[in-house]
Amino acid sequence: MAFFGFQENNLEEERQRIRNGGSRENEDVAVYTWGEESYDGLGDALQEGGDDFNDETFGSSGAVGKDFDFAGQTSLLEPELTQQKNVSASSPAQPRVDAASVRPIEQRPPGGRAPSSLESIWDDRSPFSVLPRENGANRFAERPSASQFSPFPESPVLHQPNASQGGARTLQEIEAEMRAAALQSRGVSQRQQNAIRVQQEEEQFLQDQAYQRRLAYQREREAERELQIQALQRLQQQQVMQLREQQQHQRTPPPRMLPVSQSPRFLDQRQILLLQQQEEQQRLQQELQEQLRMEELERQLRAQQISQLNQGPIHFNHRRVPSGPTLAELQAMQQQQLHRRQRSQSPAYQDFNINPQNIQLQQRLLAELAQVEYLRDFQGATQAEQEALRAEAMRKIVETEKMEDRRRKKAAKIAHMSRYNDLMTQSDKDFITRIQVSQLVTPDPYADDFYAQVYGAILRSRMGLQSQDERVLKFGTGGGISLGNAQKAPTRRPNAMQRMEQQVERIVSNARRREEEKGLHSLHSLQGALGKTSGRSYKAAPRQLLQVDDASTSPTLAHAHAHISKEDAKDKPSEGAAKEAAKLSRETLGGTGNVVRKDPLTRRQVLAALEAMYDLVLKVEHLRREQPPLEEEEASQHWQKEYDDLVEQLWEGLKVMVPLETSNPHPFVSLLSPSKGKKLLPRLTRHIGSSRMLTLMTLLVACFTQLDVVKEAPLLDALEDSPERAETERQTQAFLGSVLQSILPIVANLELHVVTALLGLLIDRSHDIAAVAKTKPGLALLTLFLSRVEVIKQAWSTGAEPVDVMSAQASLEQWQAVFDQFFVLLTPHFLALFPSSRITLSAHHPTSAALAIDIIDQPVWQFLAALALQAAPEQHQVLVTSLRDKVLENVLSANKGWVADEDERRTKLANVNLFLHALGLDSSQIAL
Amino acid sequence: MESSSIQEPFDLIRLSLSERVFVKLRGDRELTGILHAYDGHMNLIMSDVEETIMIVDVVDGAPPGQPATVNVAKRKMEMLFVRGDGVILVSPPSRT
Repeated sequence: MAFFGFQENNLEEERQRIRNGGSRENEDVAVYTWGEESYDGLGDALQEGGDDFNDETFGSSGAVGKDFDFAGQTSLLEPELTQQKNVSASSPAQPRVDAASVRPIEQRPPGGRAPSSLESIWDDRSPFSVLPRENGANRFAERPSASQFSPFPESPVLHQPNASQGGARTLQEIEAEMRAAALQSRGVSQRQQNAIRVQQEEEQFLQDQAYQRRLAYQREREAERELQIQALQRLQQQQVMQLREQQQHQRTPPPRMLPVSQSPRFLDQRQILLLQQQEEQQRLQQELQEQLRMEELERQLRAQQISQLNQGPIHFNHRRVPSGPTLAELQAMQQQQLHRRQRSQSPAYQDFNINPQNIQLQQRLLAELAQVEYLRDFQGATQAEQEALRAEAMRKIVETEKMEDRRRKKAAKIAHMSRYNDLMTQSDKDFITRIQVSQLVTPDPYADDFYAQVYGAILRSRMGLQSQDERVLKFGTGGGISLGNAQKAPTRRPNAMQRMEQQVERIVSNARRREEEKGLHSLHSLQGALGKTSGRSYKAAPRQLLQVDDASTSPTLAHAHAHISKEDAKDKPSEGAAKEAAKLSRETLGGTGNVVRKDPLTRRQVLAALEAMYDLVLKVEHLRREQPPLEEEEASQHWQKEYDDLVEQLWEGLKVMVPLETSNPHPFVSLLSPSKGKKLLPRLTRHIGSSRMLTLMTLLVACFTQLDVVKEAPLLDALEDSPERAETERQTQAFLGSVLQSILPIVANLELHVVTALLGLLIDRSHDIAAVAKTKPGLALLTLFLSRVEVIKQAWSTGAEPVDVMSAQASLEQWQAVFDQFFVLLTPHFLALFPSSRITLSAHHPTSAALAIDIIDQPVWQFLAALALQAAPEQHQVLVTSLRDKVLENVLSANKGWVADEDERRTKLANVNLFLHALGLDSSQIAL
Repeated sequence: MESSSIQEPFDLIRLSLSERVFVKLRGDRELTGILHAYDGHMNLIMSDVEETIMIVDVVDGAPPGQPATVNVAKRKMEMLFVRGDGVILVSPPSRT
């Protein structure tokens, strides 16, 4: 305990002493003794009454909030107590204390200390103040006043550590302190500060005066003098009071901050007077302030005018413009001032001026007056010019303000936009560009932009432009950027385009070099370029709890399993080999009839195989585009090898060489069943050699009846629109458009004997050639064959093709035999070949379908014409007899007008003539 | 051969390219049409599409046992882009 500089006390001893009711005289701690015998009853002596005017003094306390200031409430008692003490304790020493309690203490000589003020004594923060007072009688009296032992927080203002001032401070000091605090906390405007400064000066002056006046009042008591002084005094006092009042209103300080002179009692006595005089005071004060402000404004105006006169164009300090008054305001002020100046000739004002002790103030006022007078003269002399100038100035001000406003807005906008300027360095931008470009770089720019490229090529060829092969940027080995479709107007922005290309090329080459340095493949660098995707889905899978290592955990089982699987692996190829051998032997021994039969491909197998085929086709097409020039022998050889390899794979994939009887339908036919399979064929033909294509065609002819389009063909004869019919229609169109188109060039080059063989094969393989002929694909194929034979025959007859007569004759005989067979087979079905006949047989077709039917019939007429060309005269007879009704029906309906329109009529006649011309006849020859 | 080419579910959809497919969509809608293209979002481009919309009309205040009337609306579209977020199922049509 000695550490803290206190008297060393044994705590235990102390406690013992207290417990024993030890003497309190030695205690240096205030002990509250309420409820004990020794209680001095001072708590009851607290003045409870006399708070009638509390509301007027402190303002009516409305609803009591939660933030009630207990300390402030308690210290309410402080001033009263102080005054009581002041009156009671120090009255003998100061006889004029009554006056002091009534008058403001500040009327004492300035700087005068009041050492007897208990307020300041309590404020004493010297170390001795903590010690117990020597006169113990006072101690109990002090307790209720919450002095240094008060548990409540002490007033912050009064206790500001102005240690330099010693113990006691005068009211002026306190007041100055308060005012300074107010100024600091408020941040009052310059003008207000000026006003307050002037007021302070006045106060000082008035205080001095008041002191003198008091002396004079005591000594001389002259009547008129007294009157005058009193009037002045009242005014001055009121002003001072008013100032304080204002400060109180402004700050609403807690009651304890009231100066002693404004203690409640004082205010009580002065209140009525105050209320009466308040209005006048306020007016005076306002006038004073107004005048000061006016001076300020006039000063500004003067400065403006002078600068205006001197410099012509106005250069305002723009910071002053918004805060400063406008010219209109200034004008109004000036008029007001003139008005007021007349009014100021009131007796009070004169009295005030006459007062000889006010000379200083008077002089100041006079000086100001003179200044104003001068100003007025100056202004009055050039009133008209002034007005003009003012208007001009006004206009310019407005203009400048507008300009300034606009400029400021613009600047603000720019500033707002430029907030993020230079956030990214050049390397950042480059980095982003690299990321963007790297996303464009692909190993195969052409394939990745395939459709745009093809479309562009088509467009260019249509527009007759020279066809660039590929609109791609290529970089080194394979990578590149597709440029998509060419611009329609190539000359439009070629420079920009070129520049972009160069830029991209540079960036990409840089990127590639960097990648090569890193030793990474470009694809790897692309991974995660735009942030990683959380590939967590697989991690979310159940964790594998059992980690069975085959070798370690269960060796016997694993070994057994391994053994078994090995056996399997051994068995399978041997089995396969055996099967293969068996198949081969059977094929060699028993011919084609004994092929190992397999289940036809499932649809899924077909689709999967087709996808694989498409992959191959794309690869091959890609490879073809990258065919190196023939000069580079090594690369060319390498390319050729690769290409041949792929084509071989394609050929394998087509399964054309699979024995004919392997399955029904044949795998190749199965592959043709989906429309994409049919569409695949034209893309293959350019890669597959013609000999292989011939094989393919032979297979196709052999398996013709297995084709879905042939099998499903009867569906087309139904008029009802069903999904199946639509599907068959689609497939048929695909077949005609793709498959037959792709074998067309093969057929066009066929020798006669091959055609004969093919027709024979078709007749052989089809159980019902008429059924084949009733299908569109079949009819088309037969027409193809017949036309080819006709072409060959014509070539021979005209001698366009040098021909070995003997072999030609043999071929012709062969052909005629096959054809005769074919004709005989077909004869009973001639009429049924017409879809229109089949349809009308099944149902009455609506007339609207008539034209459509004629169009459908057209291939049949074509076929019949081709047939007629090959037919012998007696066969012609058969043909005409069979088709007589059909021909007559068409011709009749055409001639008699049983047709919907001219189109139908023409179509009907054209169809009939197609056939009749082949016979050497014409529809016009038909007599009706 | 065909099994080796199938490594992910999308490979199965790839098999149905340019084939007629059956697509079930959210909102009681079904499509049949020829699939031309798809992407990772299951956005589909289809042609020759027939859309079937099931409209279940529940009569207000009807007893719970009474079955709601189901109306089927159909419409056909030549070409259709199907946004992938509505796709529930893509399958080859059942073959008879």
